[in-house]
Amino acid sequence: MNQNAKPVKIVMIEDDEGHARLIEKNIRRAGVSNEIVPFANGTEALDYLLGPDGSGVVSAGRQLLILLDLNLPDMTGIDILERLKSNQHTRRSPVVVLTTTDDAREIQRCYDLGANVYITKPVNYDGFANAIRQLGLFFAVMQVPEAT
Amino acid sequence: MPISKLALIRSTVAALLVGFAALVAIVVTTLWLVAETRTYTELSVAVRQQRAALVDLRSLLQDTETGQRGFLLTAEEAYLAPYEQARRKLADQIELVRSRLSGVPAYAAQIARLTEIISGKMVEMQQTIELVRDGRRDEAVAIVRTDRGRALMEEARGIFDTLITSAERRIGESVQRQQKTIGALYWVAILGALVIVGVVGGAAWMTIGYTRQLVAAQEEVRALNAGLEERVAERTADLGRANDEIQRFAYIVTHDLRAPLVNIMGFTSELEASLVAVRSWFEKAGLPADDPAAEDARLAAIEDAPEAIGFIRSSTRKMDGLINAILKLSREGRRTLKPERIDLGALLETSAESIRHQVVEAGGEVTLAPGLPNVVSDRLALEQVFGNLLDNAVKYRSPERPIHIRVRARPEPGQRIVVEVEDNGRGIASHDHERVFDLFRRSGAQDQPGEGIGLAHVRTMVRNLGGDITLESEVGRGTTMKLNLPRDLRKVAKGASAAVGANGRESEREAR
Repeated sequence: MNQNAKPVKIVMIEDDEGHARLIEKNIRRAGVSNEIVPFANGTEALDYLLGPDGSGVVSAGRQLLILLDLNLPDMTGIDILERLKSNQHTRRSPVVVLTTTDDAREIQRCYDLGANVYITKPVNYDGFANAIRQLGLFFAVMQVPEAT
Repeated sequence: MPISKLALIRSTVAALLVGFAALVAIVVTTLWLVAETRTYTELSVAVRQQRAALVDLRSLLQDTETGQRGFLLTAEEAYLAPYEQARRKLADQIELVRSRLSGVPAYAAQIARLTEIISGKMVEMQQTIELVRDGRRDEAVAIVRTDRGRALMEEARGIFDTLITSAERRIGESVQRQQKTIGALYWVAILGALVIVGVVGGAAWMTIGYTRQLVAAQEEVRALNAGLEERVAERTADLGRANDEIQRFAYIVTHDLRAPLVNIMGFTSELEASLVAVRSWFEKAGLPADDPAAEDARLAAIEDAPEAIGFIRSSTRKMDGLINAILKLSREGRRTLKPERIDLGALLETSAESIRHQVVEAGGEVTLAPGLPNVVSDRLALEQVFGNLLDNAVKYRSPERPIHIRVRARPEPGQRIVVEVEDNGRGIASHDHERVFDLFRRSGAQDQPGEGIGLAHVRTMVRNLGGDITLESEVGRGTTMKLNLPRDLRKVAKGASAAVGANGRESEREAR
């Protein structure tokens, strides 16, 4: 994924364990072997990304790629997106929104807030697996900046 | 006291008639009384002139006598001057009296007698004067002493008195009558004025009363209207909220149903992929003869599990279809409408064009009534609605006859229109008239592909446009779809726009 010394971590925020498992499997099938850090709710994910104080200093020096589901039990993915993109440490980390919602307004909103990619999960599994695998291939060639 | 419109008109007309009659009466009486007054005035002037003429004549006669007596006493010509003067005027004065009194035949005899007396007197006086001039004064005195002249004079005086008194009496009468008519005029004027004042007052009172009632009624209507509008707005808001609730519910449900479905499908695929490995192992290794369970395991891997997976897949696919249908419905309900001016004729022509080749192939026809109106509505929704209805008409045509589709529109009160799409297809049984608008429900023979989504979708869209759709149908005869739509979506959009605003906020919540 990236030839720099620090390996890129994939932070996966997804409350559905099944989805998380399927996403992981298919990313691995695409030959991506980076560490995947899974979170099943928004609070824990934000703690990890911005630190308990919410300042984002903890992420300084990390190379992060964030996979974000919008439907979370404790907050919406949009809240997380908003906080990540407005934090000076995490705002450059690529965020891939991966969700079932395909509402045009929602998609617009995510891009307005700075989402880098928006992908709707296909219900059909072949489509789903295919999409995730292609996403994995995309990850393999993508440059991820280091958080400052 | 309430005044009805009819009563007002009646009483107004009556008041007008009474007022008019009073005016006419006053005018007529006044004219008549004025004419009377003029007659009496003329009469009294005439009588005064008669009297004046008589008085003058009497003085002239007395003047002549005075002159004659003076001359008889003095025999001086100077005393004769008044006599001569009067004598010259006398004939004219008699003529004047005669002409002035000619209008009164009763006096004719008296005047004739008076003329005689005057001429007799004049003859006697002339005789005495002539005798004095001749120096025969004694003879003249003797003539005077006969008393004939005096008797004549006395008679003349009597006649004068009678005539003058009569004239005076007539003047008095005339003045009295004039006063009477003036009095009558006075009373008629007062009475007429009273009547008119009464009529005007009554009319004004009625009008004021009626106007007050009108104002009160207007107030009442206004208050009722305001209440009604408020209630309608409340109900609309309630409906909008209920609708929002249902749509939000549908949206959440479909989203939440989708997530597990992804897992079911995903892990089914994983399972299938795993089975491939198991199956290829069995093929490669063959059946171990020493294990009796091996045959069961092989069967499970080769037959039972793939069959089960097949059912899981087809069921999940079906479920996915249903969820997508609900999602589509709820999305349509949440779509922001774009009201624009739409020529319904042109829009329907486009929709009809897309099915025309099918219809013509089947030997049928599509006719649009001329003069379809313009509406302000959402183009996309209307295109989908009419496209769907026309598709259904073609899809469920009767095999027994060539298809005929007719589209027409008529105005409805309250700035609405009703568009009717009529076909001669197979029809819908009466117990299904409402049911066909339900999601996943279909009617009649299931010989056409479909999921029972179309009409549910149509109804959602039509209601979203502030309208409603119903149908009239008879099995074997055909179906008429009736769309009741507002002419201007913006005017009914109060509730709808509130709903759209609410949707905007809700979508944030839904994403949780």
